[in-house]
Amino acid sequence: MHIKDDHYTRMLQGLAYTVIILGSLACLIPFLLIISASLTANDSIIKDGYHFIPAQFSLEGYKTVFTFPDEVLRAYGVTLFTTVTGTVLGLFFMTMAGYVLARKDFKYRNTFSFYIYFTTLFGGGLVPWYIMMTKYLHLTDSYGALIFPGLMTPFLIILMKNFIRSAVPEELFESAKIDGAGDFKIYWRIVLQLSMPGIATVGLFLALAYWNDWFSSSLFINDPHKYQLQFHLYNVINSAAFIANMGAGTGVSLGADLPTESTKMAMAIVVTGPILFLYPFIQRYFVKGLTIGAVKG
Amino acid sequence: MKKKAGRRSLVTLTTAALALSLLAGCGGNNSGNNSTSSETDGNAGTAVKTDSSTATPADTGIDTSKKVELQFYMLGDAPKDLPVIQEEINKMAQEELNATVKFNYTSWTDWDQKYKLLLSSGQAIDLIFTADWTQYQSYAKRGAFLAIDELLPKAAPELQKFVPESMWEDVKVDGKIYTVPATYKEYVTNGFVWREDLRKKYNLPQPTDLASYEAYMDGIAKNEPDMMPMSLNSDIGNNLHYIYTELNKMVGALPYGMGVKYESPATVYTYWGSDEQKEELKTMKRWADKGFIPKNVLNIKDTMQDPVTSGKAASMFGDNPTRYNDMKMKISTTHPDWELGYYPFGKTTGYATPVHPIHNGFAIPKNSKNPERALAFYQKLVLDKRYNQLTEYGIEGKNYTVEDGYYKLVGTSQSNGFSREGMNGWAWRNPEFMLFDKGFDGVKAIFEELDKIQKPDLFLGFAEDYSSYQAEKAALEQVEKQYLFPLEAGLVDDIDKGLETFMQKAKQAGLEKIQAEWTKQWNAYVAEKGIK
Repeated sequence: MHIKDDHYTRMLQGLAYTVIILGSLACLIPFLLIISASLTANDSIIKDGYHFIPAQFSLEGYKTVFTFPDEVLRAYGVTLFTTVTGTVLGLFFMTMAGYVLARKDFKYRNTFSFYIYFTTLFGGGLVPWYIMMTKYLHLTDSYGALIFPGLMTPFLIILMKNFIRSAVPEELFESAKIDGAGDFKIYWRIVLQLSMPGIATVGLFLALAYWNDWFSSSLFINDPHKYQLQFHLYNVINSAAFIANMGAGTGVSLGADLPTESTKMAMAIVVTGPILFLYPFIQRYFVKGLTIGAVKG
Repeated sequence: MKKKAGRRSLVTLTTAALALSLLAGCGGNNSGNNSTSSETDGNAGTAVKTDSSTATPADTGIDTSKKVELQFYMLGDAPKDLPVIQEEINKMAQEELNATVKFNYTSWTDWDQKYKLLLSSGQAIDLIFTADWTQYQSYAKRGAFLAIDELLPKAAPELQKFVPESMWEDVKVDGKIYTVPATYKEYVTNGFVWREDLRKKYNLPQPTDLASYEAYMDGIAKNEPDMMPMSLNSDIGNNLHYIYTELNKMVGALPYGMGVKYESPATVYTYWGSDEQKEELKTMKRWADKGFIPKNVLNIKDTMQDPVTSGKAASMFGDNPTRYNDMKMKISTTHPDWELGYYPFGKTTGYATPVHPIHNGFAIPKNSKNPERALAFYQKLVLDKRYNQLTEYGIEGKNYTVEDGYYKLVGTSQSNGFSREGMNGWAWRNPEFMLFDKGFDGVKAIFEELDKIQKPDLFLGFAEDYSSYQAEKAALEQVEKQYLFPLEAGLVDDIDKGLETFMQKAKQAGLEKIQAEWTKQWNAYVAEKGIK
């Protein structure tokens, strides 16, 4: 059976398509510009500016990036490692915390909740955080410095706690206990199974935070081999701009070749590329997780 | 009931303690590893020490019986071959000073924030780079560094003799020495840079002062309409204003609209709002009207040099000799038919100031655990040819070769893991061991010319203390960005009215308080140093 679309439906569809096409164009155009710039000869960028179609085609940018691919690859490795480890560990810690705080028979529930909530309102600031990480935890130049700060994000713990409270009926704890399950077993076999959508959401937030992180590298990592991907890219672009702009007052020689415009763009493509290709394939899991999380049955 | 509660709190306590120990375990593990590894190193170290103590007696009077690792902090990015160099250096340092060094780099990204954190967090750092542009004076004043007056004769007597007495005098802050200055003399004063081939082609005047420079740009605008007459970017203050005042014999890059002329350094006047400033703004307005200054100048993020080397711009208002030379060398390979000309401002103003000793140096932060060894090591870095050349140029044969006394890089700066001064070791340059690229001869020639008219830099020895007007300073910076930059870029039609608005806003931000306090400090400085 086929219902013929009426006039208004078709108009709405037309309108919707136009809006979506315009919207995606607005997102795509800057990216196309980067792709085009990465394929343009550097001189031509400086002279004529950016164009959608390379005025002077050249693969120089990519050649420069891939002469020493080890730096980019290593940064990839670091980011991949911190993202996976951080997300897995963080999920474990945060679901644990969420579970404990969701249990009504945990006596210091309110105290702990308040303590966690309090840190979202008042932080110590940058300097105390830096001192804590470097002087007391001795995390300078270690992967710990990249992973630890994200493990217990107050906002995500609160999210997790609320989710568990709404997804797992309290009576389940009791009945599981009567059946002989211990606290950890309840957590592992019941709470975790029932809060998958919540875990997917929190996991997504966490993974994105780790993938996009550059600030921890910036503060705590001195060894370039341990730079995260984002920071590596940021640093390459920044140092070039900085050295070139250091001003007439310093007399620092520009002896070393600085990465050119086309190289920077090529690097941006190399860094974002794989995720772009990967995203369409894993995206549906995220969407599923998020929607299940949104609809509470 | 009560008992139960007690038990429960005990359980929470234990869990908390466990959790904490877990965290501490992770952190502690790390430092534990460090201590064990340094212990084994230590054993090896003492073994070497006993071997070599008879062969190379320590040349300083310090106690080197305990093995240490020095933490060395540099600005910028580390060269690729750093681990190799560090290993070579450590082999020697281990033997001679029973110390090893770890070279740490901040990277250029947000280096100023990291620099601040390094010094304020109380980390154990043994040596750190200092310069006027890293706020050496203000950190020294606030007690971030160790005064080395008494350490020097004991730990680095040779170095103390090597650096001229006048330089030690110049870097003093409140009567104490906090940094080891570099002795290499260079000029970072500005000069006109222009395309000589175009000048000849259209028979234009050679830029030697403001008028001839303007005439040159007029000619370019007329004959090469597609070219920018001058290269500019959004950093108006540094690229137009300060260059203009340098040409007008002002002392250094003075903040807050203060004015001090080189001939009469003891007289401070207010530059902002003066006729002299109006003259500057009128010039810039004229240049903007003629199209020398692009309308979107405040949005240009290009480097200053790229437009010139790619042929988009025909001149630069001012650049220092070293960077001019870099551009010239770059052009000679990419566009051999082009020519660049240079005219140092020193010839226009009649004097040139070599960099002040504060411009490059190394300090020992006050949290250093081994100040004596750090200084002894730094002496090696400056005065021992092996240490010096290894850290400045890398390994001979692998990273560079010497031909007819000239430095030559092996391969290209991309393929070579250690380019010239790749460790950013500007501070421990030793003129006696320095190797120069052949292309640097041009700079040397300019330096020699400037040597004839050199006069001391009066400004950099001045240590500003802005603690009493920090809030006003921040507010004023905003006002400058919003109201003064457009004026200085010639973008405001009515100069008088624009200047009036700016002055009014600046006064609201607390300009008068800042200026009064600054003047007081300047006068005290001039009196203390006996500058007249």
